[in-house]
Amino acid sequence: MITAGIDCGAKTVKVVILKDDKVIGKAIIPAGIDTKKASEEAFEEALKEAGIKKEDIDKIVATGAGRADQPFTKDSVTEVSADAKGINFLYPNVHTVIDVGAEESRAIRVDGKGMVMDFAVNEKCAAGSGAFIEAMARALEVTVEEIGPLSLQYKQEIAMNAQCAVFAESELVTLVHQQTPKPDMARAIHAGISDRIVSMARRAGLEPDIAVIGGVAKNPGFIDCLNKDLNTKVIVPDDPEFVGALGAAIAAKEI
Amino acid sequence: MYIEEFKKYYEKRHEYAKDFKKKHPDWKIVGTFCTYYPEELMYAAKVLPVRILGSHEPQNVTEPHIFGMFCPFCRDVLAQGLQGRYDYLDGIMIAQSCLHVRQSYTSWDLHIPVDFRYYLPMPHHLQSARAKDFLKAELEKFKKALENWTGNKITDEALDEAIEILNENRRLLRQAYDFRKKDNPPMTGLEAMYMVVSSQMMHKKDHNEILKNLIEKELPNRDLGIGDHIRLMVLGSENDDVEFLDMVETITSNPAKFVIDDHCTGSRYFWNQVEPKADRLMAIAERYINRPPCPTKDWPNRLRLEHDLNLAKEWNVQGAVLLQQKFCDPHECDIPIFQRAFEEQGIKTLFLELDVLVPVGQFKIRTEAFLETLSSEDLF
Repeated sequence: MITAGIDCGAKTVKVVILKDDKVIGKAIIPAGIDTKKASEEAFEEALKEAGIKKEDIDKIVATGAGRADQPFTKDSVTEVSADAKGINFLYPNVHTVIDVGAEESRAIRVDGKGMVMDFAVNEKCAAGSGAFIEAMARALEVTVEEIGPLSLQYKQEIAMNAQCAVFAESELVTLVHQQTPKPDMARAIHAGISDRIVSMARRAGLEPDIAVIGGVAKNPGFIDCLNKDLNTKVIVPDDPEFVGALGAAIAAKEI
Repeated sequence: MYIEEFKKYYEKRHEYAKDFKKKHPDWKIVGTFCTYYPEELMYAAKVLPVRILGSHEPQNVTEPHIFGMFCPFCRDVLAQGLQGRYDYLDGIMIAQSCLHVRQSYTSWDLHIPVDFRYYLPMPHHLQSARAKDFLKAELEKFKKALENWTGNKITDEALDEAIEILNENRRLLRQAYDFRKKDNPPMTGLEAMYMVVSSQMMHKKDHNEILKNLIEKELPNRDLGIGDHIRLMVLGSENDDVEFLDMVETITSNPAKFVIDDHCTGSRYFWNQVEPKADRLMAIAERYINRPPCPTKDWPNRLRLEHDLNLAKEWNVQGAVLLQQKFCDPHECDIPIFQRAFEEQGIKTLFLELDVLVPVGQFKIRTEAFLETLSSEDLF
């Protein structure tokens, strides 16, 4: 059986094609403002990698904030369920999955079969999301890819409130004026977002093993702060941003 | 320098408490959540009350326990317990103040095991004719609870001794505050904060010894050279924010110093004494009913306003900084009335909202602008 999952996120569209429980194709495309077009491009690329045609796919399921805007299917699951199924497929021993995406973060407690036991999603504030790190990277005049490794070079831990992305940027400006070294500021940013995420995750209840997915999971500075705050070593899958799409592809087998 | 002692005790509060326990194995230590706790009864039962305050650091442990719209202070307080920083406490108690800090108390009670816990229903309607009798009856119950727990009988003699130790502390703190009336105050606002808050964490006998030396040997001749600084008052909810006070008092463009305050971490805590009488419990009840009130209890008439305006006048204040913990509704309801009343007296005000961490950069810009407006009145 061949299934596909399409995750229409705020920043990117991800597609995973699954054949007999093996990933045969995947693609990621910036979402832009035309989700339909981005979905078609992502799907085309994933099909190309899999070496199959769209007609070969038995079932497609969508997930993500823009899931209603893609043209391929009316079947969908929430990001929460998709994440739970995806992580359970990869790591059956994971009981808590933290998904930090571009605009939203969520923590989900999962049972051994990939069922959602409880979950928590970030409040309106962007301080616990990838967009926050992007904004802070701009303020530090580094790229999103650079800010994580930069933060690992910190010498001093500085506390930042980081309750709100706008106010956090103002705090950063103060630190700039105090001539704080860049790695220390980068560390403060990641420590702030980690505090925010862990606070949220505690609402859902933390149960080991803990995995982190979503694009921000690729940021080593953030993962280092999370490991410290959670007093454990979190699991980061190889392609953390694809776990939601993978979960949707698994859901397609069940619908 | 005696004045510097207080800062050491403030910063080493846990070490002091643990050391106290070692030196006084017959005493117990109880953490308190507000300043309405009747210390006299606790001292008489050989129980040292230590006020639980926050640490002004980011934390991620209280989210499941405290509502998002509750104040940062109550969150910071609970975080201390959940992080095990008060693991030496034998008990906890609260005399009812506000809903937010009561949540800290009840969550602490649920999640952190202690031997003794006590909720004292301190009346809110202090201006009621029945408040004193009500509180006295509650003090009787608290007295019995302490006696049962500690095994120490609270005698009249023990109560008299405790009242005197605490009254002496209050007298000495008032004397130290009187020095701040001088044109060239011998103490900064930050030093005053350390002085008062450390008294909430130490045995008052230890604190009194330092205070006596300070008042007799240091303050009379201490010259900080701040006679030309702008004289400020700071008032509002709990404030032991070192970084904020230090920021204001180190501004160089228009230098300023806090010369008086109204906080539960400041003058409101120690302002009035127990007036001794044969009925000791009634005397104690009257002290807590008559003290400068917390806004949760300051109704229907706002008695605190008149008290604060008098302080501003006596300490010759030029400007007032009104601080409030974010989401502290009782204080927030007072702010517009206080601002209007102060402005009517010719005292300009600056309103700032505190969070667990102070955004020093933003606050500094506003404070500098405020001080500029105060000094420009002299210039033009």
